[in-house]
Amino acid sequence: MSRKELLNPAGLRVDGRRATDIRRISCKPSVLSQADGSAYIEQGNTKCLAAVYGPREPRQKSAILHNRANISVGVSFAPFATSERKKWSKSDKRLLEIASFVKQTFEPVIQTTSFPRSQIDIFLQILQFDGGTIQICINATTMALVDAGIPMNDYVCACTAGVIQNVPILDLNLIEESSDSPEVTVAILADSEKVTLLQSESRLDVDSFQAVAQLAKIGCKEIRNVMDAALRKNIKDLFGKMEAKIKTDQSADFRLGLNLSRRLENFKAGPIIRSAVNGVRYTHIAILSGHQNLGGK
Amino acid sequence: MSSYVLPGDSIPLNLILLPGEPDPKLILGPGLIRQDEDSAMSTKAGIPHSNETERKWFVESNQRRYVPSAGEDVLGIITAKTSEYYRVDIGAAHAAVLDSLAFEGVTRRSKPNLKVGTLIYAQISEANKDIDAELTCINPATNRADGYGVLDKGYIYMIKCSLGLCRRLRNEEHPIWTRLRQKYKFEVIVAVNGRICLKSNSARATIETIEIANAIKEHDV
Repeated sequence: MSRKELLNPAGLRVDGRRATDIRRISCKPSVLSQADGSAYIEQGNTKCLAAVYGPREPRQKSAILHNRANISVGVSFAPFATSERKKWSKSDKRLLEIASFVKQTFEPVIQTTSFPRSQIDIFLQILQFDGGTIQICINATTMALVDAGIPMNDYVCACTAGVIQNVPILDLNLIEESSDSPEVTVAILADSEKVTLLQSESRLDVDSFQAVAQLAKIGCKEIRNVMDAALRKNIKDLFGKMEAKIKTDQSADFRLGLNLSRRLENFKAGPIIRSAVNGVRYTHIAILSGHQNLGGK
Repeated sequence: MSSYVLPGDSIPLNLILLPGEPDPKLILGPGLIRQDEDSAMSTKAGIPHSNETERKWFVESNQRRYVPSAGEDVLGIITAKTSEYYRVDIGAAHAAVLDSLAFEGVTRRSKPNLKVGTLIYAQISEANKDIDAELTCINPATNRADGYGVLDKGYIYMIKCSLGLCRRLRNEEHPIWTRLRQKYKFEVIVAVNGRICLKSNSARATIETIEIANAIKEHDV
């Protein structure tokens, strides 16, 4: 049985990336309507869903802190997340460890002193696992907390880095993690670039440590740019949805769900209008009240 | 000023000292903390607003959880009852406290006997991050009910939405209201804690109020 080369002579890794390429990231905040804040993030094939509730009444009296909010993190893996179906128990040591890393990372960042004696619950679920659990949990938590409007001093971005054949590599996937490559996870604050988490379980010699940690910081900044863009777009869409434009001919056109316009049968549905306002493109059905023409394309 | 800020972004304050003013006083509203002499840092995601002549800055953001603040009108549901007060859920981190005697024209003998699950409209009389918020069903300015109190006449329907939407819906001229006004007759209370209460008088009108509620919810984010 031939062993896959983790880094071939042409400088490509098992999934075709170069040593310093991060995996493709796509992220989206506000995905759950019932949570105070939520986010879904995919880094390569690793997928994570985060939900934040709070600040709210603590469930256990023992968890009440008199001068700040208690942050409680719960991490779970879906049974279909790994290549073999496995039911994970709630108190699996590995999951509790990841949860405690996330909690430690966010404790200095969230303004917990504004909400004494309350609890902020963060629930993370990994839907598909391909390496990089801690980093994706931290990134998903950041987006969900910003979505929930919980005041924070900055936001946190995390990335992993390792070494293969003396070459520092960025963003390890599952195959690289399971090999004998050392792995370091670094989480930094986006603006000040201060490190809030530095974690490693493997052996890494101190001479390469500097290069690996620096590379991880660079990876964090790249991830930060993607999350930043997604969060700003989300706020823009949010405030765009809340504004309603009133045209001079007094027919209001604003975004309505299609179900709603079907229910209001007494209104005359106008033409479907595609327009761009403030750079946000949207399609909607204009509700006319006697006006036939609503020009514009 | 950039149009959107995220937690950690700096906002320049551009403080111009007036003659004879050693220490400029400024008011930082929700979502901002002082970073250094000339800038504030945003702690929430949203749109920054400022009034430079009055030296007020704040970040307009949206969230679903309410943070109690004195003087605001809230809709709450009674969750527990003791001899002295009721515990009311207002969608904040903790339940608020409503004194049993904080109603208009009430004495120790004629206390209203409210059940758990009752919907009330009250004003927050005291709010502090270290203690539970206190509610009152009397308008402190006039010492009369003025609309506060128990909502139990007719058919009541309460929906929850985000705080940003509620703030905008408090404007009577919002396009949603002008649209719905043309078709339906209804009574609505928009509270700042993310709850809207619709009232109707007949069973038939209840169906219409549910339509209105769904219209509002779909407009939410």
